[in-house]
Amino acid sequence: MSLNYLKQKRILLVDDESQLLDMVVSILKEEGFNNIRTAKNVKQALETAEEYSPELAILDVMLPDGDGFSLMKKLKTIADYPILFLTARGEDEDKLKGLGHGADDYVVKPFLPKELTFRITAILRRSYKDDNPTVRLQDSEIDFERAEVIKNGEHIALTAKEHSILLALYRNAGRIVTIDTLCEAAWGDNPFGYENSLMAHIRRIRQKIEKNPSQPISLITVKGLGYKLTTEES
Amino acid sequence: MKSVPKLIGRFIGILLLSIFLLLVLNFFVLFFFSINQSPSDSPYTIAEEIADKLYKTDSGYAMDNATLTFLQNEDIWAILIGENTKTVVWHTDNLPNTIPATYSLSDISSLTSGYIEGYPTYTGDTENGLLVLGYPKDSYWKHLWPSWDYQFIAHLPRTFLVVLFCNVILIFIIYIWTTGKLSRSVNPIVQGIRDLAERKQVQLKEKGVLSELAMNINQTSQILKSQERELEKRETARVNWIAGVSHDIRTPLSMVMGYAGQLEDNPDLTPEERKKARVILRQSKKMRNLINDLNLASKLEYNMQPLNPKRINVIALVRQVVVDFINNDIENNYPIEWKTDDKLSSCIIQADEDLMKRAISNLIQNCINHNENGCTIYVMVHTIQNKCMIIVEDDGVGATDDQIEKLNNTPHYMISDVATTEQRHGLGLLIVKQILQSHDGIMLIGHSKYAGFSVTIELPKK
Repeated sequence: MSLNYLKQKRILLVDDESQLLDMVVSILKEEGFNNIRTAKNVKQALETAEEYSPELAILDVMLPDGDGFSLMKKLKTIADYPILFLTARGEDEDKLKGLGHGADDYVVKPFLPKELTFRITAILRRSYKDDNPTVRLQDSEIDFERAEVIKNGEHIALTAKEHSILLALYRNAGRIVTIDTLCEAAWGDNPFGYENSLMAHIRRIRQKIEKNPSQPISLITVKGLGYKLTTEES
Repeated sequence: MKSVPKLIGRFIGILLLSIFLLLVLNFFVLFFFSINQSPSDSPYTIAEEIADKLYKTDSGYAMDNATLTFLQNEDIWAILIGENTKTVVWHTDNLPNTIPATYSLSDISSLTSGYIEGYPTYTGDTENGLLVLGYPKDSYWKHLWPSWDYQFIAHLPRTFLVVLFCNVILIFIIYIWTTGKLSRSVNPIVQGIRDLAERKQVQLKEKGVLSELAMNINQTSQILKSQERELEKRETARVNWIAGVSHDIRTPLSMVMGYAGQLEDNPDLTPEERKKARVILRQSKKMRNLINDLNLASKLEYNMQPLNPKRINVIALVRQVVVDFINNDIENNYPIEWKTDDKLSSCIIQADEDLMKRAISNLIQNCINHNENGCTIYVMVHTIQNKCMIIVEDDGVGATDDQIEKLNNTPHYMISDVATTEQRHGLGLLIVKQILQSHDGIMLIGHSKYAGFSVTIELPKK
């Protein structure tokens, strides 16, 4: 699955610091995001949203003519799309922790360019499905929509647990995902004592996606900690 | 209040003891005086003795000179009333004129028990009549009709005891009443002082015997309250100030970090220039950590960080922190090895998840901060009895025994009340210590078996 379709998404960026706006725009452009509009206050943001219909909004919490939370509510009444907050910490972080306000994620200032782009990509990937929804690995492709793996032209079905585990790994592709997170994805809350079952599932997934399951390339074990899925993009 | 009945009890004890001692003392004093009033000195016996000294002569009656001189010196007069004539047949020279010369039977009866013309008189028998001694006026007081009901005298010891008992009871009741009154006015004062110690607001009624004391306590309470408010205000101001400053630094630092990050990855720059960008980036990350730490440390120090304790699996939590570090360590200068036994899958504690994550990441960050040239970090969780231990150590530069001793035992400059010129260390470990304090845990710093620095955290299992 190519990430290029995500890079075409329209992004609305709202912050009162024009220099910060410039910087974020340059970070996003460097990452390949092309459709970006900026606004410096609530009024401008609402006007821009009206005519531009963004697919992702990145909002500062503190704005000169209001706060990011109420701006988000107004934006959501026009259209529903993911929201990422930029915050300078303090009380807003506590509010955002619950994300009960409908925000999808938040990034605390100061942030590294890579942190910001990783979060944006993750949100977009969650919110927008590709027309061609397969994930390309070294030796196979995963079709999450149909819950199957295509290896050497052969279609192999994934079980529900395998699907959940792979999806959790794919959402954090290129990064280690802990044993606990994977168990939670497959078995729900308080997943104690499932480590061995998880290992068994991983073994079966490897048989489906790897050319040589005993020497995995795409799904790697990080001893004691978790697993890492390497896709062709990551 | 427990001490008030105790106090009253002790006073009752003292009171009873003093009553008893006083009675004993009185008894002895009485005894002493009675001894002093010896029979030889009593006017009755003197009269009897002198009567014996009177003898009859041819011409009348006479007495030896020594006795006459004694009577003279004591200013005592004497008469002899004839047995049959009832007239004065002999008398001393100092007889006052007012003393009558003849006596009826009733006169004799009254002078025996009483007075003649105001002179207390005492009688002695002789063969020839009655000898009467007249003591100077006002030298003795005589009880003229000393007679009591016989039953009364017969039961005197019992009566005495009953009266004594009634007196003691009466005194006791008076005491209870007065102390009860006192303790009623003391109790609020005692309660007030106790409330003061518990930092409660105290407002006592300024009435009664102890009103002045109550007033002083009210004033003290007000002073304490206003001091507390002042202190709270100052602490809040300090926390807000730190929060404000760190907030204001975040936006400019975002730009430093953002552009440095871009420059670091810019393929058009020379390796030398990209290395410089990397230095800027690393330093700004340090600043970011410092601001975060400063803010949290000040909140923790003044108890302004709310705790949300819940059941958490320490192993999962530590694992997540380790993985986050590995995922973000792009250069791979700080590999982390997971040393926890694979068989140990859970260790449950009651803790604030965010703060606990923060403590663990501070420990890992501490290894990174002190080893600019990279090091391997070893993380292990294990359990001993009802404790959960987390060990974070490295094979880096480590610390001397002296430094470790100081880190374990000297207060950090941020919470120290003495001015210090010591080389200052970061806030990372202070925060770990503060977080552990609020979770009943402890932190121990030492040498690592991998030759570097080691920190062990101990937390109670739930």
